[in-house]
Amino acid sequence: MNFARHAFLIAVSTFLAFGSAKAVLAQGADEKMLLHPPADSWPGYHGDYSGRRHSSLNQVTPQNVGNLALAWAFQTNQTAPIKSSPLLVDGILYITVPDNIWAVDARSGHQIWHYNRPTSQGEHIGNRGVAMYKGYLFFSSPDAHLVSLNAKDGTVRWKVQVADVTIGYWTSMAPLIVENHVLVGVSGDFDNLSGYIRAIDPETGATQWQWNSTPPTGTPNQTTGGMTWMTGTYDPDLNLVYWGTGNPTPVLNGSTRPGDDPHTCSIVALNPDTGKLAWAFQVSPHDTHDWDAVETPVLVDGDFHGEPKKMLMQSSRNGYFFVLDRTNGKSLLTVPYGPVDWALGIDSQGRPIPNPAKEPAPDGRLIAPDEGGMTNYRSPSFDTKNGLFIVDAHPSWSLYFAKPADGVYGWAGADYGVWGKGVIEAIDYQTGKIRWSHELGPESGAGVLTTDSGVTFTGDGMGNFLALDSSDGKTLWHAGSGSYIVSSPITYELGGRQYLLTSSGGVLFAWALPQAH
Amino acid sequence: MMNSLLSTRSAVLAAAWLISVVASTAQTSANTKQSDSGVKQNPAAAKSYPPDLVQQGSALFRKDCSFCHGRDAGGGETGPDLTRSKLVTADVSGDKIGEVVRDGRPDKGMPPFDRSDQQIASLVAFIHTQQDNALASAGGRSGSGGRKGVDASDLQTGNAEAGKQYFEGAGGCAACHSPSGDLAGLASRYSGLELEEQMLYPRHAKSKVSITLASGQTIGGTLAYLDEFTIGLIDSTGTYRSWRTRDVRYKVDPALNAHVELFPKYTDADIHNLMAYLQTLR
Repeated sequence: MNFARHAFLIAVSTFLAFGSAKAVLAQGADEKMLLHPPADSWPGYHGDYSGRRHSSLNQVTPQNVGNLALAWAFQTNQTAPIKSSPLLVDGILYITVPDNIWAVDARSGHQIWHYNRPTSQGEHIGNRGVAMYKGYLFFSSPDAHLVSLNAKDGTVRWKVQVADVTIGYWTSMAPLIVENHVLVGVSGDFDNLSGYIRAIDPETGATQWQWNSTPPTGTPNQTTGGMTWMTGTYDPDLNLVYWGTGNPTPVLNGSTRPGDDPHTCSIVALNPDTGKLAWAFQVSPHDTHDWDAVETPVLVDGDFHGEPKKMLMQSSRNGYFFVLDRTNGKSLLTVPYGPVDWALGIDSQGRPIPNPAKEPAPDGRLIAPDEGGMTNYRSPSFDTKNGLFIVDAHPSWSLYFAKPADGVYGWAGADYGVWGKGVIEAIDYQTGKIRWSHELGPESGAGVLTTDSGVTFTGDGMGNFLALDSSDGKTLWHAGSGSYIVSSPITYELGGRQYLLTSSGGVLFAWALPQAH
Repeated sequence: MMNSLLSTRSAVLAAAWLISVVASTAQTSANTKQSDSGVKQNPAAAKSYPPDLVQQGSALFRKDCSFCHGRDAGGGETGPDLTRSKLVTADVSGDKIGEVVRDGRPDKGMPPFDRSDQQIASLVAFIHTQQDNALASAGGRSGSGGRKGVDASDLQTGNAEAGKQYFEGAGGCAACHSPSGDLAGLASRYSGLELEEQMLYPRHAKSKVSITLASGQTIGGTLAYLDEFTIGLIDSTGTYRSWRTRDVRYKVDPALNAHVELFPKYTDADIHNLMAYLQTLR
């Protein structure tokens, strides 16, 4: 008996020793981890490269999610709301707000280190999180620099300029690591500037290539804009990176930029090694409503009307849901997922045809959706089990104005939201039909996460975290958070326990099933 | 249940906003005049601020406020034009602006900002200076990249007679509203863009709610809070009371739904005509 117990303890110790040896050997986010994230990691903005924000974890189920309880909470003690998606590598979480990064123990929620470098330039509207390559972190600062830090202690390795903050750029996005490239995008809207994606060497900070979404400022009859606000996705087999581009500038007045204004409001496919454009699909030709197409380009392999397809799906800010063949950028489906009144129809390429009568005008035009759009930067999720694309939508109406006195620089007009609401929509990707919907009250800023067990995690417009049944949208669990939710949830498993990570205001919440102490 | 949830939420939030606007307007109404742009101008507020302070405020505004409110405070992505804000007009030395900066407007997506008195003083100096400049040169703000304003004169393209026909006919407005009843003197209370926004969706309206408890007792009041799980009202004594939605039955006055149902039916001409008609209700 004693011997047996002793032997058992040795076995346990040996197991633990192997477990910790593995942890000691962990060297940050290597290529293998980024391609196939283990259950105890969330090594990129979207988790994996697909942008599906769908987890294979199944400890938390529709049957037991009602028991979900707080495991821990982490408070930034700042008024800036957390808009980032946490990164998790080697048991350590990294969350951000502008000028700040926290490294937090994913088991306990206690702070390991805090990077805080106030910058005085650039719009401080939010930060979407860090990227990781080996043991290095990469962080976009409001003054349009890329900062690289040592993940172990938050010390700065180098800081390089990505764009010139003094002429109107800033940065807020979470970089994307592909092989030995750190891919970064730029933000801006108040100036007639070109958007671009830049690849930066993770070791040295040197620029590897740059792809410009629009011609240089001042090119006659050509648009500017096409900012690259958000993190793209990646298909390693096709070796293509997919990225959404923002609206053209001037924003609400298209008179100086006749035609379609390529490559604004577009989904583009680039070779990550060269930056060469493989194809581009424009979701909003000649946009005059500020509808960036930077929502997650979600990559799904599966059946489309009886044929296996490599697809790309986007619930776009302009109110349309798009399914493309991501090998060539050809349209498979274009269908609205809420009220839209600005298009005359769909052209032969699957693009909405903008109605000139719905461009902003001196006496105003009633437009659906509003400028914030049918959705925005918050992440959707593709539920692989039910074949549903689940998005936090915002059916809405607004008034758009533009007159000659408003000029042709920057905004060049005005718009006013009149009414809107929030609703989680589960879209059948083969038809665009809404399989189920769940009303949220006013617009919610919460993204969506789905799990193989059949649970959808999100939040409503009053600050309640929600768990819904992925098959019908019924509420399974909720918790009032005390503030507004403007981030997307993640999940991971550590020590045999599945955690759901959500944030609202300046607080990060970890939820798990109750555990004996 | 879900439909009632949606139709009332904005109204509840807007009601809180209305209370603050009414309060601030009431404090200053004795000393204001109406400018051409519809902004009440308080002559006492048109003081000049030290250029250094304005410059500091400009830099801070650019960093923390400009994305939503525009670099020139003339409005940006989602945030209102502060140069046409009644709250800014009513503000004296930051007494109202400071409160909004410190507390935020969480219901409208504005976070609170933890800023020092000196920083807020600089923001106040910048915002007032921008408003004074905008009033002094209406329409002359070029090159700033910010969102531009809408003047009442921009909204005069409709036909009042056609609007009256729409009101009484296709629009269905007359089912709930009367030009000699609830809308009498409407154009004296609202003008310009504010009138048009109110016409499309009266976000100032408060919704009545009736709640039936398990005991059968019915309690009426003004809806104060509603989400999927909790309903709260202000009862006739002014007291806030709430229940779990699963424990009661409730009915929210559905009147505002009619405004939402009209959005997909309007032509832009309908809106302009209706606007022309409502402006005759003085």
